[in-house]
Amino acid sequence: MFVTEMMKTDLVAITPETSLAEAKELMEKGNFRHLPVVDADGKLVGIVTDRDMRDAHPSSLLDEESYQKTLDKVLKHTIGEIMTAEPITVAPYYTLQDTLLIIGKKKVGALPVVDEEGYLKGIMSTRDLLRAFVNIMGIEEPGTLLCILVDEQPGQLKKIVDIAAEENVSLGSVLVARDWDKEKRAIFPYLLTNNVISIKKKLLALGYELLDPMQWYLDQSPKKE
Amino acid sequence: MGTTGFVFDERYLQHQTFNGHPECAERLTAIMDGLAGAGLLDDLVQIAAEPANQRWIETVHNIHYIMKFEEACMWGLPDFEHQDNSICRDSYNTALLAVGGVLKAIDAVMKDEVKNAFCAVRPPGHHAEANQAMGFCYFNNVAIGARYLQQQYSVEKVCIIDFDVHHGNGTQHIFDTDNSVFYYSIHEHPSFAYPGTGREFETGFSTGEGYTKNSPILPGRGDDEYRERLLTDLVPTFKEFGPDAVLLSAGFDAHENDLMSGTNLSTEGYEIINDTIFDLVSSSTGGRVVSVLEGGYDLQILPLLVANHIRKMMAL
Ligand SMILES: [Zn+2]
Repeated sequence: MFVTEMMKTDLVAITPETSLAEAKELMEKGNFRHLPVVDADGKLVGIVTDRDMRDAHPSSLLDEESYQKTLDKVLKHTIGEIMTAEPITVAPYYTLQDTLLIIGKKKVGALPVVDEEGYLKGIMSTRDLLRAFVNIMGIEEPGTLLCILVDEQPGQLKKIVDIAAEENVSLGSVLVARDWDKEKRAIFPYLLTNNVISIKKKLLALGYELLDPMQWYLDQSPKKE
Repeated sequence: MGTTGFVFDERYLQHQTFNGHPECAERLTAIMDGLAGAGLLDDLVQIAAEPANQRWIETVHNIHYIMKFEEACMWGLPDFEHQDNSICRDSYNTALLAVGGVLKAIDAVMKDEVKNAFCAVRPPGHHAEANQAMGFCYFNNVAIGARYLQQQYSVEKVCIIDFDVHHGNGTQHIFDTDNSVFYYSIHEHPSFAYPGTGREFETGFSTGEGYTKNSPILPGRGDDEYRERLLTDLVPTFKEFGPDAVLLSAGFDAHENDLMSGTNLSTEGYEIINDTIFDLVSSSTGGRVVSVLEGGYDLQILPLLVANHIRKMMAL
């Protein structure tokens, strides 16, 4: 999955000359936490976050009159003065995995997506990542989660997928849990059906163990001494 | 001791699903054999079913959806909107008759011919949305029943209690902006069980905010968790709502023997459900309630659970 499939493309971009007042209004109106900053050609030059905006605000400890006076002054400044210039960006061919790791490592809330010439193509935020995961797990479609304990050896997943195919049942997702018992793996297929009885019977007949998923969660949680 | 009505019709067996489908005609034959074997049938007042008039179906379902379903059956298609929803040429008529059975049961209760009634109908209904078939359900029997109570008998406040192991997404969504119908559901947690809805934060919208209550049960938690959640979630909200009529979506697929689910409820656990609900019913509507069959797929345990449920209704 590439960022181009997950990023937001209906962008509101501002320029370094935009006033803080204008940017503030745009952010509040669109409920944005980040605004990309572009030059006259549409090339990315920076990013401004709601945090940057808050930092630029006068202290809330000021009395109301001086707060308002300072705020009026602050809001006349331009974005170019507070934005993060040359922010961390990703290219359109970056994958979901890439952005997950970059967002985690660099501790940013959003990544502008720019092409080779530096033009802004989209923005990928943690919100977009979350939406992508809901999609990957298939949990917006009705279905049932099974938890199957299998031996750690090749070909197990195929047998499970084959049974689902035999029963004409689509898979929303399959999660495989590692760090389980050394010889075992827990496979969690999310089956897009209410009709799990015959699949369960076939799995049991093949000698698989159907786990109570809660048992698995409890076994995984840190043991109290 | 009041009289309990009972809806069953041989024609409910005509909705044929594909070989090996859990929602099969044998479910009802098993129930009938079980009730006969338990000697209960003679004490029940038989209520004859009639196909529901389409205008009652339209109180819940979109007319285009109704026509699409009728056409799919007419063409002899194998399923409707999803491979779960196996159909045959008679499925549409059977679904109309299932709704009609529920409406007849409501008539009998509202006209005081019986105190309460159990409807052994199929296909089931609680997954059916206003314009979508889901999870073996085509027409939402209970939802249409609630509208019928309101429009035909001027009943104001209807409470639907759904103890099928699956969340009744259809019923919840049909009434989610409606403050005249309170929907309570206790079911296996949506992260594990079909259809993936019914979380605690789903409480209704706008005018219906607060008129939906969900008690998701984690897999394996069984009787204790059911007892606890019924007491803390259902009892106070039911009393606060103060319904004028009560409908049950009675699903028997939460049982430990039923491969459809993992909540691990025992036969005694089902008695906890029966006792809690019927206590509420007898103190609010004087024992008047219409209970409608939803799921329950283990052919050995299903008749026993239905018999136990009906016995408690007869004692009201
Ligand atoms: Zn069910």
